[in-house]
Amino acid sequence: MNSFQRIISFFKGIGLVLFALILLEYPKDGIIIVAAIISLSLLLYGFRLLWYYTRMARHMVGGKSILFQSIIFLDVAIFSASLITESQFWVMIYLLGVYAFSGAIDILRAFEAKKNGAPSWKMKFSGGCIRVAATIALFVIGIIFRETTVLLYGYCINLGYAAVMHFINAFRRTAIVYIQ
Amino acid sequence: MNKDFHCYATYCAAILAGYSHEESAVIGYSSQMVDLCTRTMLSKLHAPQSAATTQLQLELMDARTDIIGLQDITRIWASFHFLPGDLYAVPEQKCSKKYLKKYRLICKPNSELLEKTVRRAKGKNLQDAGIAMHVLADTWAHSYFAGTPSLVINNTNYHFFELIQGENGEEERKVNFRHSPSSPDEPEKSAYTNTVYYNNENSIMSLGHGRAGHLPDYCFVRYKYLPAWGNYEEIIKDNPSDYLCAFTQMVYALKYLRGTIPEFEKGHYDTESIEPVKDEIQRILHTVQLDSTKDWRELGKKLSGHELEEIDVEAIEKEYLDADADEKDDTFLGRFIIGALAQKSMVTNQIFQSGNRLAGYSIELGSKGFKGIRDFKKLLKRREAGSDE
Repeated sequence: MNSFQRIISFFKGIGLVLFALILLEYPKDGIIIVAAIISLSLLLYGFRLLWYYTRMARHMVGGKSILFQSIIFLDVAIFSASLITESQFWVMIYLLGVYAFSGAIDILRAFEAKKNGAPSWKMKFSGGCIRVAATIALFVIGIIFRETTVLLYGYCINLGYAAVMHFINAFRRTAIVYIQ
Repeated sequence: MNKDFHCYATYCAAILAGYSHEESAVIGYSSQMVDLCTRTMLSKLHAPQSAATTQLQLELMDARTDIIGLQDITRIWASFHFLPGDLYAVPEQKCSKKYLKKYRLICKPNSELLEKTVRRAKGKNLQDAGIAMHVLADTWAHSYFAGTPSLVINNTNYHFFELIQGENGEEERKVNFRHSPSSPDEPEKSAYTNTVYYNNENSIMSLGHGRAGHLPDYCFVRYKYLPAWGNYEEIIKDNPSDYLCAFTQMVYALKYLRGTIPEFEKGHYDTESIEPVKDEIQRILHTVQLDSTKDWRELGKKLSGHELEEIDVEAIEKEYLDADADEKDDTFLGRFIIGALAQKSMVTNQIFQSGNRLAGYSIELGSKGFKGIRDFKKLLKRREAGSDE
C-alpha cells in the first residue's frame, strides 16, 4: 500500500466514524441518509457496469453476463431506494442484510487470498466473520425485542469496527517479505 | 515457458548457433534471469527498480490497478513476456478506443516489435541476447494473451479442452481448472490451476495467461479454447509445434546476433542446424512432463560436451553487491539491468508511438531532453560514455 492509498484508507475511516455519529445523534434521519447513500452507490455501480458492457464487454465471449449483472444491480438499487420511505425497522433490516452480505464477501475473498498465498487473508477472514456474526446476532435481538434502537446501535458498532480496520490498514506495514 | 526452455533450451540453441559453452551459459542464464529479476530482488541489491522484468505473486497482489499502476504492470509484462503482435491491429467488429488499445497489446509471434527486439540486442552484451531470446520464445508460448490486466482480452471460459492422443486417435478432454496454487498440475487428469474469475476489467487475475493457467508454459500440451477477444471463434494451440518454431527461430536469431547471418527477418527459422538433433528435440517437446530440464540439460551436454549448472542467483547477487559503484555495470547483473532497461524503454516507446498510453509515456530525448523515471538515466550515461548506441 502506498502513501496515497494509506491517506484514502484513513479518510474512509474518518468518514465511517462520522456516519456512526450522525446515526447516533439523529437516529431517524441518519438512517434514511445512509440508506439513500447505499442505494445511490448501487445505482452508480449498475450504470458503471452498463457502461463497461457497451464500451468493452460486448466484444467479449460471455460478455452478456456483465449486462445481466448491471440490470440486477440497478434493480437492487431501485428496490433499496423504495425502502427509504418505508418504516425504519425495514430499512435497518435491509442495511444489516447488506452488511452481512459484505461480511460474507470478505470471507470468500479471504479464502481466495489464502489460496493465492497472500498473508492478509487472516485479517480479512476474521473481519468477515465478526461482521456476519454481529449482524445475525443484532437481527435476532431486534426481532425478539422488537427494538429498532438496538439494531441502530449494533449497526453503529459495525461502522466503528470498519473504521478501525481502515485506520489499521492506513498504518499497517505492507512491505514484501523476502523468503530465502 | 519455464526454466527448462528459457535456460536450458536457450543454451542448446546458442551452442547450435556457434557460441562457446561459456557464452551460451551467459545467454541461457540471462534468458532465465528475466523470470527472476523482481523489484524485491532489485531493492535488496539497491539496484534500479525500473529494471524489474517480472513481478512476484505477492508484488502483484499488492500492486495498484489505477492508471499509474497499470502502466507499470504493462511495461513489465508487455516488454518481456507478452510482446504485442501488432500495435496497429484493427478488430473485425467496430469497438471503442479503450477496447482497441487493449486489443492491440495481444501477443503474437513474428511481429515488427520482435525484429526490433532482436536487432536492439545486436552488438551488445550477451545478456542482451539472453533477454531477446526470452522475449522471442515467449511470443510463441504466450500467443493470444496480452501483457496487461484485461478481462475482455485475457478471460477464458468453460469451453477449454485438452487434445490428447488416445487409442482411437486424437481425443478431446475437458480441462478441469482449479484455483489452488499449492496443488500441482496433473496432466494425466487434465487438471490445471488457473486464476479465479474476477468481475473487474483491470483485475490482476486477468493478467496475461492467468485465466488459462500454466497450459501455455508446458511444451507438450495441445488445447483448444475460446479466447475472450476472438468473437466465439475457437483457437487450437499446438505447443510442441510452436515450441519447435521458437527453438529454430532462436537459433536463427542467435546466428544473426553472433554475426553469422547479416540480417534478421521475421518468419525465418533455422531448421538446418537442428537437423542432427531434431528427433531428440521432438521427443522432449512431446513428452508429458511438467519440467523437462533434465532432458534439455542432457541434450546440451551432448551438443557442447559440458554440463550446464543451475543458475546461481546468490553468486550473481553477491558479485553485484561486492562490485565498486563504477564497476557494477560490468557485472553479470549490471549488464542484465542495462539490457532490461533498454528493452523496456524500446517497447514502451513503440507502444507510446502507436498512440497507446497503456504502457505509459515515452519522451524523445532529442526533442525534450531527459525527463521522467530517473533509473533510465543509466542508459543515457552509457550512451554518453560511448559504450552503448
